Amino acid sequence: MQPQHHTIPFPSPTRYNSNKAPTYYLIPLNSSASTPKSTDEFKIAIMVKSYTKSYDYSYAFPTVCLAYFLRYPNPYSTHVLSSDVISRTIDEAGRLQTTRIHRKSSRLPSAVLKLLPQSVLGSVSGGKSESYILETSTVDVKEGWMKTESKNLDWTGILSVIEKQEYTRQVPNREADIFSATAGTTGVKTTVLFRSRLGDRLRARATRLGEAAAVEVDEEPKRSFLASWSKSGIQRSIEAIASRKTENQMGHAKEGMNVVLERLRHGGLVAVLDGMRKDRESMYNATEGAYKQ
Amino acid sequence: MSASLAPECNEVKERYDSCFLKWYSDQYLRGKATTDPCADLFKDYKKCLTGALKERGIDKMLEEAREDHKESDAVNMRRKCKGVLYISS
Repeated sequence: MQPQHHTIPFPSPTRYNSNKAPTYYLIPLNSSASTPKSTDEFKIAIMVKSYTKSYDYSYAFPTVCLAYFLRYPNPYSTHVLSSDVISRTIDEAGRLQTTRIHRKSSRLPSAVLKLLPQSVLGSVSGGKSESYILETSTVDVKEGWMKTESKNLDWTGILSVIEKQEYTRQVPNREADIFSATAGTTGVKTTVLFRSRLGDRLRARATRLGEAAAVEVDEEPKRSFLASWSKSGIQRSIEAIASRKTENQMGHAKEGMNVVLERLRHGGLVAVLDGMRKDRESMYNATEGAYKQ
Repeated sequence: MSASLAPECNEVKERYDSCFLKWYSDQYLRGKATTDPCADLFKDYKKCLTGALKERGIDKMLEEAREDHKESDAVNMRRKCKGVLYISS
């Protein structure tokens, strides 16, 4: 299904195609302004693309919750270089709140990079070859759910990807069966939102250069990039490329979790930590040289 | 165990992680949780990590993410948000 440009009626955001994935949202360009001032602001709205997928792990809820914090490194996550806990608290309801930061060796998909003009790229990238992901999670062991949210910390000027997951206990399990293979099933619903704010950046640049009208003017060759962007929607292309790549990576994330869950099933925490150490060693050997500082 | 983004923090991180995982799997996930017994180890780890985050400019990115979060909250005011972002710094 091809993304389409819509102009939206006041007020926003408005949701389209609510029963089908991907879903498109339109929200005002300037997200800090809750009510757009003119109809022009609707025309230059940000497009948001989203995916929703559901999956069942054939493991008990506590096992999945444990695996979640133990999922890096695994053989499918060689791009994740490090994971750190920034904060961890238990709230009044007994829920465990964790914020972690993951460092990834990958950056924007190269197909996305190719779409960007050097001027935009140069000011954003700074020659970096890694990026950071902020992950927040809440575990409610009594009610049997875990909610997580991961988003990129850099590159947000070009593309924001927010992944939300909701894990739910499917079968109440007895404490004795907590890490056994047959104790239950855990459902997970994953939603990924893509939002390209490239338009903001280009327009801000145009304004700074005294070319505020550039977006509307097609004729001038100097402004052709801005014009072609508004016409053909590079923004939409970025979201489309990124979402295709993410769909593929969502499969890897699931496989990675399954490896960790399998290790838990066979040898408990010791087996997981043992596996992690091996994965880390093989990662280090593979990347040695490539990340030499 | 996963590595820390700051190699100098790997040792304190591993000590904290081991403590947490034991408590998380033996106590918390079995519904027996009281308080987090690893708070002191977390303090040591956090102390090391805070410096590393500053050095790499990640503290600023986290600050921006927090601002961004506020912005989208303003936009989605009508939608009730259950998840709250906790970042201690």
